[in-house]
Amino acid sequence: MTKPVPRSVVEGFYKALATSDFTALAPYLADDVTWTISGPVDILPFCGQRHGKAVVLKLLDRDIPAFLEKRRLVPSVMLVDGDRASVFGRLTASRGDIGRRISYRIAQFIRFENEKAVDYVSLIDSFDAVEQVLGQQLTLGGAGTAGELLAI
Amino acid sequence: MTYAVPRTVVDAFYKAYATRDAAKIAPFIHDDVEWTISGPVDFLPFCGTHRGKAAVLDVIENQVKAVLRTTSFVCESIVVDGDQVMMLSRQAARRTKDNCTVRYRVANIMRFCDDKVIENLSLLDSFDAVEQVIGRQLTGMTRRGAHSSDFIAV
Repeated sequence: MTKPVPRSVVEGFYKALATSDFTALAPYLADDVTWTISGPVDILPFCGQRHGKAVVLKLLDRDIPAFLEKRRLVPSVMLVDGDRASVFGRLTASRGDIGRRISYRIAQFIRFENEKAVDYVSLIDSFDAVEQVLGQQLTLGGAGTAGELLAI
Repeated sequence: MTYAVPRTVVDAFYKAYATRDAAKIAPFIHDDVEWTISGPVDFLPFCGTHRGKAAVLDVIENQVKAVLRTTSFVCESIVVDGDQVMMLSRQAARRTKDNCTVRYRVANIMRFCDDKVIENLSLLDSFDAVEQVIGRQLTGMTRRGAHSSDFIAV
């Protein structure tokens, strides 16, 4: 039977993640953790799936900050149930190179084993995120028109 | 005393919700429900906030099915804590217009009251969903005021 994760462990994990304190986060990650962020990897390069603690810490500590600076996660919902936890909130960050603040909704689902995260999946409102990162509304071009879409 | 939704209710709701049958889902929907589907309403017309049981059942029964007909609904995670529930599911559907298959993940962030859903936010990987629904890569499209080279610099 899977051992429940204490709420205090989930809160410690999220405090470290939300404030980008990856030294504090490291003890909460299993060596074989899988970390998945859904989204278009060609536009948001931090999306995709990573395996292993070292790779995940590099993603969080170096790769994502190279793209999005001053990231803050503000959770509005945190649920704990058995060996699982989930969080819904808003992630804010800035694109330092273009001086733009972005903010999008994010839902995270984590499974713990022995008080360490072994599986993390996040969904982001990726259309909204891409529009903010690009600083433009996405529209159909070429042969497509909005009217076609309404007819779908 | 603080209300906590029983797991049996959540499991029964999930099984009903997976059928996409409004008649089976209706008993789990509160009269005063607020149901939001996150995403671009210009591309996915069922997105937005819908209020009241009748409006929500209309979205499930008619508006979504006008675009997509769900063929598979696999729950990957259900987290129940007090009156709140978060659910992660992997869904497959066929586009109504041409029967092509699309696949996407959805997170439902829900609050229950009196064993019924009174608040739901459906969050999906909306960029991927839009590309699949329109059947084209957005990266190959024109972004307003942008050139394709802009994207390489992002």
